[in-house]
Amino acid sequence: MTNIANRVRSVNWQQVVVIIMIAMVAVSFDACKSSGKLARKEKKAQIALYKKQMREIIDGTTKLTIEEQDQLISEAINKNFGDDELNQLILEASERSKSSYAEFNKLLEQKVAVARNKLYDLIVNKENLSADELEQELNMIKEENLENGEIDELIGRLEKKINDMRQFSSVEMTLKSKLESSFQTIADASKAGNLSMANSLIESTLNYFTAPDIPVLIVISREGSIVDYDKPTTIMDYLNFVKDQKENRNTVDSYQLDTAGKIKELDLIKK
Amino acid sequence: MKQAVVIIIGLVLLSTGLFAQGDDDISPQRKQAIDSLALEKVRDLSKYISIIGNTDTPWSEAQRVIERAVELFMPGSEMGVSSLSKPEVHYYKVRTYFDRLMQLNYDRVVIEWYKIQYVSDLEKQPDGTYVGVITVFQRFQGYDKEKGLVYEDTTKKDITVYVKRKETQIGGRLIGFWDVLLGDIRVKETSK
Repeated sequence: MTNIANRVRSVNWQQVVVIIMIAMVAVSFDACKSSGKLARKEKKAQIALYKKQMREIIDGTTKLTIEEQDQLISEAINKNFGDDELNQLILEASERSKSSYAEFNKLLEQKVAVARNKLYDLIVNKENLSADELEQELNMIKEENLENGEIDELIGRLEKKINDMRQFSSVEMTLKSKLESSFQTIADASKAGNLSMANSLIESTLNYFTAPDIPVLIVISREGSIVDYDKPTTIMDYLNFVKDQKENRNTVDSYQLDTAGKIKELDLIKK
Repeated sequence: MKQAVVIIIGLVLLSTGLFAQGDDDISPQRKQAIDSLALEKVRDLSKYISIIGNTDTPWSEAQRVIERAVELFMPGSEMGVSSLSKPEVHYYKVRTYFDRLMQLNYDRVVIEWYKIQYVSDLEKQPDGTYVGVITVFQRFQGYDKEKGLVYEDTTKKDITVYVKRKETQIGGRLIGFWDVLLGDIRVKETSK
């Protein structure tokens, strides 16, 4: 035991510490050596990837958007890999991106111009389209996703017009169906022999009209621009005619309203 | 000489072409619409006659219907009236006929027109009027409150129809309409 203690005491601790330190430095140097290798590998891979992406931009096969291409080019510049070939490719890609951007802007301007003209035509409804047809055309323009303030404003105007048309046509449909229902009810009441009811229905139906003597035209044939009518009559006579004949032979073709919203002219057509 | 012959042939062809166009200025579809319109007017008349002849129809209502019925006819048109008891046919101005119809001595009258059809198609006349003849069969039944059916006959009648295109202004629009007017109604046969 005393032997061991003496030996420990005889060790030169200064030498031990120096040896341990040398060993530690040697180990850490080895570790640095391997991590440096790894970094070089990664850098090489990144450079290869950037080169590939730059080439895709240059030959136009990239699937990136113009904005994404710009972002990628900036990213590659900032990395500053110091690779001559990559630097050359970055330059070429940058040039290509600039010209693509110019082309894109030109195309966008053209699309905006076409959409603007189309929207103006649709707003004034040059082709007399229905609300549904207008909406179809509008959706096609919306699908272009032009993100242009003027186009968005025109889209808003057209949407309002379509809504107005739908509201108006629903009002129109209501009046048309009300009229046709009145004609049928008069005919039915008369057929059932209920003369007083038929007369009272005639009185109430007259409320839709400006006056009992407003003209009623009945279309008997329409061939292109040639329209043939039956002899013109008045709404009062027509309602009595429906009562006398006990049948409703015609449907409402069109009508004109006065400022009070009452019918001032009625066109019927043979069923 | 050859040139003159060619010109003459050309003129002949042109003139026949123009005449042909005059005859065919209405398409078959439009003609059909006019044919139907004229038949419809005869059917309208048959409904008016049954309303006027119906003793349940109020007097004022009958008077209004008479006015409408008279409007269907050319001025001065006559209606033939026959009876199984008399061989002769009496002709009355249409308004007189309707007035008499309203005052028949039956408690109930049923007048029905059927087999309404053209016997002579509408043909265009030189003045532009289309003229045709429509035949109808009229079944007349007179009832008495107590005795029931006391008189019944069936008469075949021919109605001349006149159709002419006219124009009028309505609300600033020029309207082309077909004016259908009925002429004399002649009795052809009367049977039980």
